[in-house]
Amino acid sequence: MTLAPKDRTRRSFLYRELESAGAVFDELNGAAAAMSYGADAEAEAAQARSLGLCDLSALPRTGFKGWNMSAWLKAQGAEMSEASNIVTPQADGTRIARLAPGEALLLGNYRGHGPLIEKADSAWSMQEADGCFQVPRAETNFWLALSGSHVPALFAKICAVDLRPESFATHSVAQTNVARLNAIIIRADTGEVPQFDLLSDIASAVYLWRALLDAMAEFGGKPVGLAALQELN
Amino acid sequence: MERLGAPFGSDIDRSESVSFRFEGAQVSGYRGDTIASALLANGVTTLSRSFKYHRPRGVLSMCGQDSNTLVQIGQQPNRLADRVAIEAGLDVTAQNYWGSLENDRLAHLRHFSRFMPVGFYYKAFYKPRWAWPLWAKLIRRIAGLGTVDLNTPHGYYDKQYLFSDVTVIGAGPAGMAAALRAAQAGAKVLLVDENAEIGGALAYARFDGAGELAEATHAELAAKIAAEDRIRVMTDTMCTGWYADNWLSLVKGNRLYKLRAGALVVATGCYEQPLIFHNNDLPGIMLGSAAQRLIRLYGVKPGNRAVVATANRDGYGAALDLLDAGIEVACVVDVRADPPEDDMSAALMRRHVPIVAGATLREAVPTSGGGGVRAVKIARLEGAEKAARRYDSFACDMIAMAGCYAPAAALLHQAGGRVSLADDSGAFSVHDLPAQLAAAGSVAGTNMLENVLGDGVAAGRRAADEAGFSVAATSEPPRVAEADASAWPIIGHSRGKDFVDFDEDLQVHDIENALAEGYRHIQLLKRFTTNGMGPSQGRHATLPAIRLAARRTGARLDETGSTTSRPPIGPLTMGHLAGRSFEPVRYTAMHFRHLERGARMMPAGAWMRPEYYGEARAREENIAAEAMNVRDNVGIIDVSTLGGLEVRGPDAGEFLNRMYTFAYLKQPVGRARYVLMTDAAGVIVDDGVACRLHDDHFYVTATTSGVDGVYRTMLWYNAQWRLKVDVTHVSASYAGANIAGPNCREVVQKLCDDVDLSPEAFPYMGVRRGHVAGIPALFLRVGFVGELGYELHVPASQGEALWDALMEAGADAGIRPFGVEAQRLLRLEKGHIIISQDTDGLTTPHEADMAWAISRKKPYYVGMRSVSIQEAGGLTRKLVGFEISDSDAPRPKECHLVIRGGAITGRVTSITRSPTLGKVIGLAYVAPDQAEPGTEFEIKIDGGAMVRAKTVKLPFYDADGARQEM
Repeated sequence: MTLAPKDRTRRSFLYRELESAGAVFDELNGAAAAMSYGADAEAEAAQARSLGLCDLSALPRTGFKGWNMSAWLKAQGAEMSEASNIVTPQADGTRIARLAPGEALLLGNYRGHGPLIEKADSAWSMQEADGCFQVPRAETNFWLALSGSHVPALFAKICAVDLRPESFATHSVAQTNVARLNAIIIRADTGEVPQFDLLSDIASAVYLWRALLDAMAEFGGKPVGLAALQELN
Repeated sequence: MERLGAPFGSDIDRSESVSFRFEGAQVSGYRGDTIASALLANGVTTLSRSFKYHRPRGVLSMCGQDSNTLVQIGQQPNRLADRVAIEAGLDVTAQNYWGSLENDRLAHLRHFSRFMPVGFYYKAFYKPRWAWPLWAKLIRRIAGLGTVDLNTPHGYYDKQYLFSDVTVIGAGPAGMAAALRAAQAGAKVLLVDENAEIGGALAYARFDGAGELAEATHAELAAKIAAEDRIRVMTDTMCTGWYADNWLSLVKGNRLYKLRAGALVVATGCYEQPLIFHNNDLPGIMLGSAAQRLIRLYGVKPGNRAVVATANRDGYGAALDLLDAGIEVACVVDVRADPPEDDMSAALMRRHVPIVAGATLREAVPTSGGGGVRAVKIARLEGAEKAARRYDSFACDMIAMAGCYAPAAALLHQAGGRVSLADDSGAFSVHDLPAQLAAAGSVAGTNMLENVLGDGVAAGRRAADEAGFSVAATSEPPRVAEADASAWPIIGHSRGKDFVDFDEDLQVHDIENALAEGYRHIQLLKRFTTNGMGPSQGRHATLPAIRLAARRTGARLDETGSTTSRPPIGPLTMGHLAGRSFEPVRYTAMHFRHLERGARMMPAGAWMRPEYYGEARAREENIAAEAMNVRDNVGIIDVSTLGGLEVRGPDAGEFLNRMYTFAYLKQPVGRARYVLMTDAAGVIVDDGVACRLHDDHFYVTATTSGVDGVYRTMLWYNAQWRLKVDVTHVSASYAGANIAGPNCREVVQKLCDDVDLSPEAFPYMGVRRGHVAGIPALFLRVGFVGELGYELHVPASQGEALWDALMEAGADAGIRPFGVEAQRLLRLEKGHIIISQDTDGLTTPHEADMAWAISRKKPYYVGMRSVSIQEAGGLTRKLVGFEISDSDAPRPKECHLVIRGGAITGRVTSITRSPTLGKVIGLAYVAPDQAEPGTEFEIKIDGGAMVRAKTVKLPFYDADGARQEM
């Protein structure tokens, strides 16, 4: 029997949408993550290569900001680009997206690991803040992955930024507007299949999920489970 | 359905028949046909009736550039029959007739045309004023176009962004050459064309006497484009406008594309112009290029015996194509007195077609019933604008017109370019184009194919260069001499019906009369006559109007100027502009729990909140019951939508001290304090509470709809003050539930073992951190509703679990959720104001009786100076509580006015019937001398009746606050 999202206190804002799409859940970081949408893993992996939408709400993420953000995070062992809107992969699989000189977003990998995130979150306190302040990104932003060859065309329907692979390199970050919502878009793939992270207002998760599925329909896009995404990476 | 054999009919698939209905009759065509081509193939030549005189109209341009072919397709009015491809089951009807298309009862209006000159309705129906609506209704009935069905279901339209290094609009020979050259330089090219296939004139026109050059050139360019990966072709796509920085709008199907073009090449070609003569609008009279399109693209014979009238070499090409299609050409009439001998004229002469030079058409003779042409009268020209009285008559059933050309330059105009017209010929040129925009081909005045291709190559090279792709210099092909072209004569006919503007049924004398009345400026002429204001937007009407105006005023064509071209260039539906509706909506973590409980949701900014729970028909009872359950027992409300801001850093206290009116430097950790924000003018803009969680950390709440503004204001000020403080917007990061009522402590206690909830340990306005049902929570003891209460803020992802736990823990006690309306009622009983409901854009703290929230011991806060000035100046109104003692009196509504002696002294801001107090209570602005408790005043309600109210001291309920502090 599959895990039910409401069996956990941490719940994705999208869990009803995922359930109605036939998601099969498994536990990840104390929450139920949609791992697949049926038994045919191969078909789901193919879907992810064409156009897939995956809820990553259960994956670890955090943020830090402040005038001393960079020094504080570096003291935790982080490496970071000096330029904004660039992602720097860490040795442990964590990715750090520098959103501004004084703000960074830390994302775990697609297997739910983010040792640097745990370390930084544990190390931070108001007493030791010293000009660097924690941002509850796991609660502020829902997190989706969009994968597949049709993603740039899909984004062209809902976002004004040129996200074609030749214009938006891997590890690029766009802080922009998607379907009239503020959003952070990150080019995440390192291989042949285009893949993007999309983070936006957690309270608007259901709205954007439905808007994306509607926009994806002409390309045959569907939800895919985390397992299919892991297969790509 | 008789068709010409291949190679004629390049756009149709003869293996697939398609049936549709026109005027109720079944019509068959082939896949690839337009409605117009299929109708003509079936002998239907009249497609619609004209706008004013209801004259029968047929194909004119055969490419969607005129209004003759506007038809109704199902619920869609004004579709172009020569653009829309047929589909099985289409239900097509003609437009603008009364009776039937063939026997339009309003066709007799033509007999009264002398009584309906331009602008007659401006002058005839302006008084008596009461009669205008009646006339307007009648005129609209007579002079309408399609029929709008107001119950049409919503279509699915959307939008998409596009990007390209180089964009080429128009895939004729110049556009194709430009695209290839730019792509060869390495640029990614978007090649856009409004037709189903690329090729432009190469697909249907004739460029040489043998008739081989177009096809060969077309095939060569098309093959190269197909093989070029860097070129993306978008056919059936109309570019509807140019905007700053080469931002273009494109329409294809139900989608509007927003294109960012790096560099742009406009190769949109030109519009062939009709000649002007008596009855020049009869079905069967069409442009030469229209006849060629019918033959080449659709395999349709436009007639059996033709007369071709021309002002240039292209009419000869049309005549040769007509001959090739088996149509007898009675003669070619050339307005040029001495047309040059070239390969075209030589080919015609070899086929024994008489060429009548130095002549023009004077009159088309209609068939009986007026639905076609049976002959044409031709007269010799005597000078540029005069024809001999004597004429020759030629029998024919069609006339092909090849006047001069007008550039399809709307995009160039919109980009700031200008077109210069030659006075003594049909030539023109474009100039003043901005950087990164080039014009190529016939839109730029080039017509010989060699030159058109050369133009395209040069434009493509330049565009690639401007888009950042280095291009090696190459020698440009030599130019050949441009063909001779004449400005065709415009000679009015004594019996009129010599149409200048087919859309609006404007004749030569209409334009001349308007000029004689003084409307000499081309813009005034356009507006007074409506010339060029119809669906075809002056593609065929503007140029003759300019020439008529120049002739009247003696000015050169360039001095006469042109009308303004604005987007959209072509027809665009409201659906395209609206696109897909993106209306973001925010749900709290508990949203679906509210729906499951039967909540009636209401918008609060972008959020949805429960207004109340239960049946709508029992709204008042449900709200009262929810409120009473809070007063008597325990209720719970979702407050996740409240704004939340983390203010952190060594200067956090100082920052709040400056942002809000109260004092915060010495606020103890673990305590909450009210915050009131004023703007620089001393006007109240927001409120909330500031919870001190650490010496350097405040968690500040703000109103649901005000928090974004508060956040922006904080950032704006801190950018100037440069305090050591950081502000983080966390409104959505935390879910919130306010559990309130005398029994709420017991409910929370069941779920919490790490916070001492006793009043001694956790008093009113205290703040604690702990856990509820294992969920980390911030506890706030605040009392907006005036009862013992805890506001619990938890991570958003755990908000639903918190709600579930509290509902389950409170089930035995009879906990029930309450909505926004019950909360408003409860807070009103306590006399608490709601910012933006009880305040407006001018409300000051003293007016709102909020002086208690102002610290007078600190040196500064935003708005302090203004508030001090207002205080010194005295009040002009004051917000007070009031009650209505007469239980039978009608209840006023919010915004009803307080009236004294006929003057307005204030207005009601909040009002309700209090179930707790059993009477109507409210808040209202009144004059300062009406603010004293016990003062009576009157409120004017709907219908004008006055209701007596009495000022009372606030709060209405629990004056000493014992219940919220228990």
